[in-house]
Amino acid sequence: MRQKRTWPIHLALIAVGAVMLLPFYWVLKTSISGDNIFAYPPSVIPRDPNPFYYVDVWYAIPFARYFVNSVIVSVMTIAANVVLNAMAGYALTQTFRGKSFVLLLFLSCMMIPFQATIIPAYLITGKLGLLDSYLGLSLPLFSTIICIFVYKASFDAVPRSLIDAARVDGLSQWTIIWRVMIPLARSATATNVILSFIWSWNNFMWPLIVTRSPEMQTLPLGLARFLSYQEDTTGALYAFCIMVLAPGLLLFLMAQREFVQGLSAGATKG
Amino acid sequence: MSGSPRSATVLRVLRNRFVWVPLLLCVLIAGWNGWVFTHDHGIISGRVVDADDKPVQGATVRLWIFDFATFVEHASTTTAADGSFRFTGNPSHNIQLSADKPDAGRSERIPIRLYFASQDRTLKEPLRLAKSD
Repeated sequence: MRQKRTWPIHLALIAVGAVMLLPFYWVLKTSISGDNIFAYPPSVIPRDPNPFYYVDVWYAIPFARYFVNSVIVSVMTIAANVVLNAMAGYALTQTFRGKSFVLLLFLSCMMIPFQATIIPAYLITGKLGLLDSYLGLSLPLFSTIICIFVYKASFDAVPRSLIDAARVDGLSQWTIIWRVMIPLARSATATNVILSFIWSWNNFMWPLIVTRSPEMQTLPLGLARFLSYQEDTTGALYAFCIMVLAPGLLLFLMAQREFVQGLSAGATKG
Repeated sequence: MSGSPRSATVLRVLRNRFVWVPLLLCVLIAGWNGWVFTHDHGIISGRVVDADDKPVQGATVRLWIFDFATFVEHASTTTAADGSFRFTGNPSHNIQLSADKPDAGRSERIPIRLYFASQDRTLKEPLRLAKSD
């Protein structure tokens, strides 16, 4: 049998990949060289590369403090997302009265933009006494509907007989979720972790509204503050962007296989 | 023959990228902080020479540090007989140095970038005085 030639498709994929990676390369290059992005002709190779723009960012604002705040908020968000979405996803795999209505309600809620819910969310957070706290910062992202559906799709793929067998063995619903379903839904968990991390890490609007003290600000707010401080920010601004992006990129690169599997689990289910 | 099941489990856990990547980062961060901790005395030293590369005694060397938007003079010292000078307690990561002496002239203001605030640094190139026309 004649083997198909694969190099044209690989060549095309490499070209597309290079085009997609070019902006990232340009940000990285500018962060170590400070080259004017409007300079003509543009220089592909960084001139006189140095790490000092990163040092400037570190000392221009309390970067370590913002970083720790972002990490704490993200970890709380990830933990809550995995626990709450797994429970909600498992519940949606069960048969109960009004299930279609609940699914419809969830899908409808996905269409409401966050901006439309900011005022009630702020009032509730204020009533709970959580303004300017880590819990208040992470609370609105504790559970996201997309991630619930990712777990639901993954749990739907688990054979019903396995759950029935677990019930026969005397396992409670809680134990079935954590001992049976979650170990079988690693890709869904990875998807939940990555998506909740990225949403929490990049969140700007909610921390802007809910924080009052500079000590509670997160990295996106730090970026805005940094921009208001500095005039000539070409190199330092791009260095800041790299420092903010790096944890998310690292997490994605570590878990990309599971992430892609998790997102495509629902699509391939028969 | 392979090791005990316990060591095999440890090896398997260590090979997991979700374990070794954070561990590697922790080691790098700890190493960097250790290096910073042992090199952050704020000592800046160097030499001042004249146009003929001869050491200049009694030249005033000024330390300028970046303060929000511009450089301000932070400290000054006088060179010894061999032209050497030394600052202690530099608090900044972005500094400039200049030297001057009546009758001998003045040097250009030399920018010095440090990898962290208060990093100890000995200048490789001396500050060179030149008479202005």
